[in-house]
Amino acid sequence: MELLRPLVLAAALIFSTVFVNRAAAVEVIPPKPPAYFNDYANVVPKEKALALNEKLAQFERETSNQVVVAVFRKMETDSDIADYTRRIAQSWKVGQAEKRNGAVLFVFVDDRKMFIQVGYGLEGALPDVTAFDITERRIKPRFRTGDYAGGLEEGVDLICKAIRGEYKGTGETVEEKRAPASSGWGPLGLLVMLIIVLTIIRLGRRRGGYGYTGLGGPFVSTGWGSGWSSSSSSSSSGGGFSGFSGGGGSFGGGGAGSSW
Amino acid sequence: MKKFLGLGKLLVLASLFSLTGCGTYNRLVTLEQTVNKKWADVQSVYQRRADLIPNLVSTVAGAANFEKSTLTEVTNARASVGQVKLDPSKAPTDAAELEKFQKAQGQLSTALSRLLVVSENYPQLKATQAFQNLQAQLEGTENRISVERNNFNTAVQEYNTALERFPTNMLNKMFGFKPRPFFAATTGAEKAPTVNFPTFGSTPAASPAATP
Repeated sequence: MELLRPLVLAAALIFSTVFVNRAAAVEVIPPKPPAYFNDYANVVPKEKALALNEKLAQFERETSNQVVVAVFRKMETDSDIADYTRRIAQSWKVGQAEKRNGAVLFVFVDDRKMFIQVGYGLEGALPDVTAFDITERRIKPRFRTGDYAGGLEEGVDLICKAIRGEYKGTGETVEEKRAPASSGWGPLGLLVMLIIVLTIIRLGRRRGGYGYTGLGGPFVSTGWGSGWSSSSSSSSSGGGFSGFSGGGGSFGGGGAGSSW
Repeated sequence: MKKFLGLGKLLVLASLFSLTGCGTYNRLVTLEQTVNKKWADVQSVYQRRADLIPNLVSTVAGAANFEKSTLTEVTNARASVGQVKLDPSKAPTDAAELEKFQKAQGQLSTALSRLLVVSENYPQLKATQAFQNLQAQLEGTENRISVERNNFNTAVQEYNTALERFPTNMLNKMFGFKPRPFFAATTGAEKAPTVNFPTFGSTPAASPAATP
């Protein structure tokens, strides 16, 4: 038995390195974002990010279109950007289920690549040519000078402008619609939420990496506060933070991108 | 009394079977409809690509002495795609039919990507907005094609699996459900063809061989 121990250890070591190597090559589909505007790469000032986030939340209230921005450091995949980002957008379910009216602007700072994914229901209002025009001729020149905030703001404005007339909103976001129903859970629901919040805080402290750095602290405190506990009026009155929930939209390869 | 019980059991069993039979029948109908719906989606994205081509050809042909053979190839491939027309509302049941369709579309894909590769040698053409826009549209269409093909294959797989399962496999003959063929996974092969330029010398930008 004593003799076996080093063997077992060695085997375990080999196994674990093989496992880790495998894991490194595996594609990562980022988890659903907590906000409309998600700056995981920390290239946009916080106030700007919050302002753009509120703008996009308000846009959903008015038009029901869900527009999400996600800025990452780099792609974690072997696929090309169109295929990779389509699958991400699909897994986030951006857009309403019936209208399929979602659009996601993906930016990978270190790869110097971006792509606008357009949901099925917006392909008419935001055709590939327009998406390409926005990334190639509007955002790209700004990114080249390092003006990420300006490029993203212009990109958001142009996307919203293109798709504004397409659908009518209900005055509420998907997240806000869900909120009243879940507060009806009573004490049990609150307890579950408390546990989730605590876990998120703990996780955030432990790694602070991938997840919630973009809007870090404010997300946990104000986000849950306005989104869940109080009435929806407080969250739409500005100043607060509006969380994002996908409505079940789907993506079929529409959109275009550029590298800079 | 015992006999009645037995009869009752039999009745229950029979009705259960007919119920599940009914359920599976309905399920197969739904699955088959999904397959047809996805097939229609596939057809429409292929059609979308075909519709782009006249515009692309005229834009490219406008460029100073663009290689004619590449253009002819695209035009011919598009014409042969037009000849392999399948019913857009019903997914094909014949594997050979689908293969023929796929082959024609594959030739068009190859011709198109060759055209894009060749256009690299025409910086003036590449710099025009019209060409850049067309390229973005073409790429978007190729992306859509691969998505809808995948969706179609997933739907077919689900349907075929349901057909083969017991007890459905006994019912499907009765109701005339047939398994459907897939798209073969050649998307990667279609996208990256090896390009040889027999008419191209080592001085690509000059392109002196472009006489008709």
